[in-house]
Amino acid sequence: MSEAKVVAEIKSDWPANTTRPDCAVISLEGVCREYAGRGDVVRALEDATFSIVAGEWVAITGPSGSGKSTLVNMLGCLDRPTRGELKIDNVDVASMSSTELDRFRAEKIGFIFQQFHLIPYLSAVENVMLAQYFHSMTDEKEAKAALDRVGLGHRTGHLPSELSGGEQQRVCIARALINNPPILLADEPTGNLDAANQAIVADLLKDLHRNGHTVVMVTHDPEMATLAQRRIALSHGKVFCHPVGGPIVTLRR
Amino acid sequence: MSEPSTPGQYHPASKLSLVRILRRSLVHRRARSISALVALTVSAGVATALLTLYADLDNKLHKEFRSFGANIVVTATANAVLPPDTLSKVQQAAGPAALTAPFAYAVATTDTGTSVVVSGTDFAAVRRLNSWWQVSNWPDPSGQPSPALLGQRAANFIGDEHSVKLTFASKSVTLNGTGRLKTGGDEDSRIYMPLEAFTAWTGVTPSVIEVQISGGTAAIDTALAQLKQALPGVQVQPVRQLVEGESRIVDRTHALMYAALLLIALTVGVSVLATLSASVLERRRDFALMKALGGTQIHLMSIFLFEALILALAGVFVGFVIGSAAAFAISEINFHTATLPRLSVMPLVLLLNLAIALLAAFFPARVLRGLQPAALLKGE
Repeated sequence: MSEAKVVAEIKSDWPANTTRPDCAVISLEGVCREYAGRGDVVRALEDATFSIVAGEWVAITGPSGSGKSTLVNMLGCLDRPTRGELKIDNVDVASMSSTELDRFRAEKIGFIFQQFHLIPYLSAVENVMLAQYFHSMTDEKEAKAALDRVGLGHRTGHLPSELSGGEQQRVCIARALINNPPILLADEPTGNLDAANQAIVADLLKDLHRNGHTVVMVTHDPEMATLAQRRIALSHGKVFCHPVGGPIVTLRR
Repeated sequence: MSEPSTPGQYHPASKLSLVRILRRSLVHRRARSISALVALTVSAGVATALLTLYADLDNKLHKEFRSFGANIVVTATANAVLPPDTLSKVQQAAGPAALTAPFAYAVATTDTGTSVVVSGTDFAAVRRLNSWWQVSNWPDPSGQPSPALLGQRAANFIGDEHSVKLTFASKSVTLNGTGRLKTGGDEDSRIYMPLEAFTAWTGVTPSVIEVQISGGTAAIDTALAQLKQALPGVQVQPVRQLVEGESRIVDRTHALMYAALLLIALTVGVSVLATLSASVLERRRDFALMKALGGTQIHLMSIFLFEALILALAGVFVGFVIGSAAAFAISEINFHTATLPRLSVMPLVLLLNLAIALLAAFFPARVLRGLQPAALLKGE
């Protein structure tokens, strides 16, 4: 089944937007993001209203150009809405200054990137410590423990170029976890991995979710999407999702 | 401090600090680091060499000009001779460092019947004063009696150079030509002999005293004023061409050195700008990641600017050593004297290199300020 067809199905079945529950760790109310185009305004995200509660695992899906990246950038405090209210951990981030946003991001968000984004001249453990460096104090023991947790306790001193793709992604996960952020934002976490490493990363995310982490995952992979409790679909900048506590969605093939 | 390249042999430090991040970054991107370091070393080296030479330039140029001879001439008024105590008064007024040489002139006839200008002088004083004269063999004061120095052209009118017979007012004298003189000027047509013997022969006393003042135009002007005051009845005049020429050349050399320094600083600035810009542009994703991890603008700027600062400082130290060596060599080749390293130029070189590095860092810093981590991390 094509993705467009899936989205069409979702649009017919799912309610557009949902109200916000009180226990939300992320909540959006009428969030819009517009960019100045050539003579006109491009609306990348329209009137998004939904919530994600603490400990939830949510998959964000949608075709290319649907607004996924825009949404994730805002959830990750890398961008701010043009209009609307975006609260993360009950703090309205839209009104924060850039410096406040940097600080907030270091404390609240753990990023897992599709392309890993490790600093090439720092070892695995130093890459993990880099997140500590920008957060507070570096602690090698803690950083090694985080690598141990993702099964890389024996590879702490290796440079990214000496690690496989799967290992690099696990370093990226360890780095996301090191400051114990309430939200893990995974952008296509298995997009660059082979099947074996996809399974390892999927298992790690399951573990993290079981341990109470809130996981917001952007994915094109239907298999990965089924691991989430709830799915938020995007189409042409519009958000479609089940309310919090709604059914786990399984794509029909 | 070396970075082991064997996989698994890389041992990270227990703490991650700015210094460690900078060191790892500079070592990992060593080609880029060396490129920036070379540019900054060149600027520091050239600045050190020019400033070291510049500091010594006045002395060296004045010394060179002194080799061209007198810069002040004391002469008697028309058809007169200088008072007998003039030479001592000149030496007293001009100071002990000044070189002086008296000259007395008479027109005599050679044994071939040709008229020739004969000058009585102090050979030892002339030798010091006119070191630029090309003399085949200076007369030895303790050697044979009645020595003479024959001008290149004057020698053509002499029958026997070792027995120069001259007649002045019916009085004859025989001189022993010890060597030839070649200056390209009037001196080539003259015969020089010791002043005492000249005065005893002709009865003519000195009418000209040539004076060489060491130092620049200011020292010459001061000496001129003092001589005029001490010698009211005689003419005291600067050798205009030499004094003004010296002043002009010194000024132009200064201007040339400033211009060269500015040009080199600009060239190096552009080169460092290109290197630092490339350094930021190729690491935009690294910086974007740091921002995503919570790095503030200050964090990012400090990493980038400290990198530029480290390279600028390293450039100053390496450049100072190379520049000092270059100044030494240039001085040795051109002025035949050594110019020792001058620590006093270090602050200026440091300032210049820091200014170049900071100005060159301005554009890349703007790139950093406008960094969009979201787009960069997505690979856009």
